[in-house]
Amino acid sequence: MAYVRLNLAVAFPDNLFIILTMERTFNITWIVLIGLTILTAVFANVEMKYIAIVILGLSVLKFIGVAFFFMELKKANVFWRVLLVGFLGLLLTVVWAI
Amino acid sequence: MANTIKIDYKNIFYPPGGILMWIVIYLELVTFGIALVFMAFSAKAEPEVFHESRLLLNTAYGAINTVFLLSSGWCMAQSVHFLKKGNFSKSKLFLNLTILGGFLFLALKGVEYYGKMEAGYTIGYNSFFSYYWMLTLFHVVHVVVGIVILFVSGNALRKNPETLKIEDYEASATFWHMCDLIWLLLFPIIYLLF
Repeated sequence: MAYVRLNLAVAFPDNLFIILTMERTFNITWIVLIGLTILTAVFANVEMKYIAIVILGLSVLKFIGVAFFFMELKKANVFWRVLLVGFLGLLLTVVWAI
Repeated sequence: MANTIKIDYKNIFYPPGGILMWIVIYLELVTFGIALVFMAFSAKAEPEVFHESRLLLNTAYGAINTVFLLSSGWCMAQSVHFLKKGNFSKSKLFLNLTILGGFLFLALKGVEYYGKMEAGYTIGYNSFFSYYWMLTLFHVVHVVVGIVILFVSGNALRKNPETLKIEDYEASATFWHMCDLIWLLLFPIIYLLF
């Protein structure tokens, strides 16, 4: 009450939680994407039997990170999400299988 | 606050960035995807050529350029976010950083191209370098077009942010992110896989 009477109350916007969550989501996505890029560069110099699958798998994660979080595809209709993930899966499977 | 309307992104006709932009994105991805499949077929026919040629590429340049584009994409997402909040100064700041990321990508690509041309690894050197030049140059064209679109959006944001439609700004951002997506396919396959 004293806060209100002395006009010390701070008016938070209704969507403050959403705003903070979105900023945090972008930041976490960026950190994860940079981490995955460093991991990809490290794995590129490793001699391993299934290294192609690891490299392509990491690129799938980065692709999904950009599409779903930066482009906000996670908010879109399931049709667009399935179409993108389906295309990505098909392309990288074909490239790996060849 | 920017000129906004409540968009129902769950509606199949209104994905974030607009349905037309997403149709363009799928067409672009399919185009690059088909080229990459053909590249994989060629690599199967000439595995030694592709492996030795791939080793001539500078993986560090590719990784640094990935960091430039991902950071630029992060700035673009923040710019859209701050525009939606009505914070125009922060939106402009992040847009400028986005454009800077694009120029850094182009500068490093220029250094890489110069080195390859100096060494004689031009488009006709072998089939690997034919794919390398065609695919990466086609991507560079997209980045240049993306920067031009961002400059136009930035101009609208600077001159009259109140009338800027958030759907238009989102469409520009979506095109820019598409450049990230294409690069995220090109980098592992061209620089690391063969």
